[in-house]
Amino acid sequence: MKLTRKQLLGAAAAGALGAAGIYELVDELAEAPERAAAGAPPEEQHLLAGMKVFEHEGVEVIEPPLHHQVVTAKLRVEARRSDLRQARETLEDAVRRIEHRYDVTPAGLAVTFAWGLPYFRRYVPALATSHIPVDIRASRSDEQPVSAVLDARRFPSDPEQTILEANDVAILIRSDRREHVADGAKTLFDEAGDLFALTSIRKGFQGGGFLGAASLPKVMATAAGVPGADLIPETAQLFLGFTSTQTHTQGQSSIANFETLGLVDVRTGYFRGGTNLHLSHIYEDLEAWYLDFDFRERIDTTFRPRLEAPDGAQTLAQRPEDSAAAPDVEADFRRFGAIGHGASIQPTSRLQMDIRGADGRLYRKGQAIPLRADFNTLDNPFFWTADPERDGFDEQPAAGVHFLTFNPSSDDFHRNRLAMDGVLPDGTKLPLTPRSRAQGLNSVLRTSHRQNFLVPPRAHRSFPLAELLS
Amino acid sequence: MSRVILLVVCVAALAGCSYGNKTEDTAAAESQSRGCPAAWKAGWQRLANRVDTPVYCPNWMPSPLDASIGGQWNSDGPIVDRDRSYLVGFLWHEAGSGDVHVNLRGYPGRTTVPQCIDVQTTGGKTRRREVPCFSDPRGTRRVGDKNVTVYTVSRDADQWHVTYLWRRSGTLYTVSEHVAPPLTFRRVIANLDQLVGGLELIRPTA
Repeated sequence: MKLTRKQLLGAAAAGALGAAGIYELVDELAEAPERAAAGAPPEEQHLLAGMKVFEHEGVEVIEPPLHHQVVTAKLRVEARRSDLRQARETLEDAVRRIEHRYDVTPAGLAVTFAWGLPYFRRYVPALATSHIPVDIRASRSDEQPVSAVLDARRFPSDPEQTILEANDVAILIRSDRREHVADGAKTLFDEAGDLFALTSIRKGFQGGGFLGAASLPKVMATAAGVPGADLIPETAQLFLGFTSTQTHTQGQSSIANFETLGLVDVRTGYFRGGTNLHLSHIYEDLEAWYLDFDFRERIDTTFRPRLEAPDGAQTLAQRPEDSAAAPDVEADFRRFGAIGHGASIQPTSRLQMDIRGADGRLYRKGQAIPLRADFNTLDNPFFWTADPERDGFDEQPAAGVHFLTFNPSSDDFHRNRLAMDGVLPDGTKLPLTPRSRAQGLNSVLRTSHRQNFLVPPRAHRSFPLAELLS
Repeated sequence: MSRVILLVVCVAALAGCSYGNKTEDTAAAESQSRGCPAAWKAGWQRLANRVDTPVYCPNWMPSPLDASIGGQWNSDGPIVDRDRSYLVGFLWHEAGSGDVHVNLRGYPGRTTVPQCIDVQTTGGKTRRREVPCFSDPRGTRRVGDKNVTVYTVSRDADQWHVTYLWRRSGTLYTVSEHVAPPLTFRRVIANLDQLVGGLELIRPTA
């Protein structure tokens, strides 16, 4: 007997894909911002055209989409050339149908496919060996070839319980309009759902407060009764009270591509225009953040000790010329016994010199490399999971962030994340006790899940390398 | 679906909300009309005499606490410093269930926010620095006959407490409660409204 799509996908998962749950409130509470018109979709899947840039508190800020959904899955496809090719066509047809309906912009709908190493190992191992880019810098450090995409690892401030995931694929769906996200998910899984065994559905939001109205994080957390919600500033872009999408803190243009900065050898060129995605879920203890750290301390630990900031500021300039270098971070630690989150990462996340990119652009010293796509969530830890026990699922809403960042390689992300824990690029380890108060921001974060993915260029987004199987 | 409707109702309610609700407001009004219970008064009178300054005695405490100085819930003090500033703390603690912890303080002759010493040990090195004992003011509230300032970051014995602070005749007074399970921030605000609304001023007699 042939199973229906709903049976294959699982009735609960199929329902959860379109369900809004608490996130339905986002539609009632926030108007979609006006967006610029879009041109042709960029070569890169991870870039969005039509992003709105404006000034907030005198700082240039990018306004990301309001609604976000990530679906992770294992594949139901047999590891046979014919099956893979057919699966590729099916998926590509479904995505093209979506793109026919919507511009690839926040006002429309953006769908990004990211493939986990389990996919490459199971389905296209030989091709992966020759095509997946190699991280030149990491290979030099390790004195052996290091792939640009690595299995996720735990970091010093991660609890032992952090789950390192092994999904075949992650699909990121973003829009200012929830109905676009729901329609995109429905189209995708109606037409190609039998290719996937869903493992999780993750949903969330951000922003909405730049024009002075109560922001989505504030209103949603309050409505959900999340502990500490009353303490979130009214217009905060994110639960923790500060804006994170300043133009200067986001990787611009194609800087996060594998090939742009020369950190990665794209070898055959198949994955040129691709990048590494790190996906994690992090719980945020809002009561600890707002009751144990006063505004001055929140500035110190989020940015840098003694950084000047007007009382109550939410959006602080993080200019390239003000970027901290590793000796600055060490000096802060010696003087204050603490490091700032932003400053600690800058020695690895900002360019240390001017670089003419492979795309011909001049990227200036101090520019940010990672392109973050993180969003707040009330998922605990996911909106839906195929394995509630393993994932520690709870229906009670919890404040957190689905953290997504595009970096030129997994190792590049790992360097940034290690720096957050006081492990500097030259290997210096500042003696910070994991999750201690001296770790400031890190002391109120708890990562539940992590995985790295390879995001192919748009041309190879569906079952990458499968078309090359002989 | 019912959950969504419920949440919408909550959001609508929040639009014009104070942190309390009608039942609590009524209770607060009732508590204001009663004075310090006789069973508690003697202890507070002794404290007023000792610090030679009026002190405030509650007529209501969050369950299961009472405000009997020397009673079963009296965890701290009264601790009286050389400058006559005092701390009286009341604590219920049950492992796995949480805390209910209330502190009442007075700083005779002082109207500025006092300084506390923040001690942090990192990498084997201990650093001490002066910080305000109460910071992150979140506006003022009229509670009974008092204009209180609400502070959300508190130090020392008041760490993780929300603090109500006001001044009277050259003396600074605070009442704070710990935000910890089973209490939420919103519940603590309601408790402090009721507690501070029902305080009776006890003047020194000696």
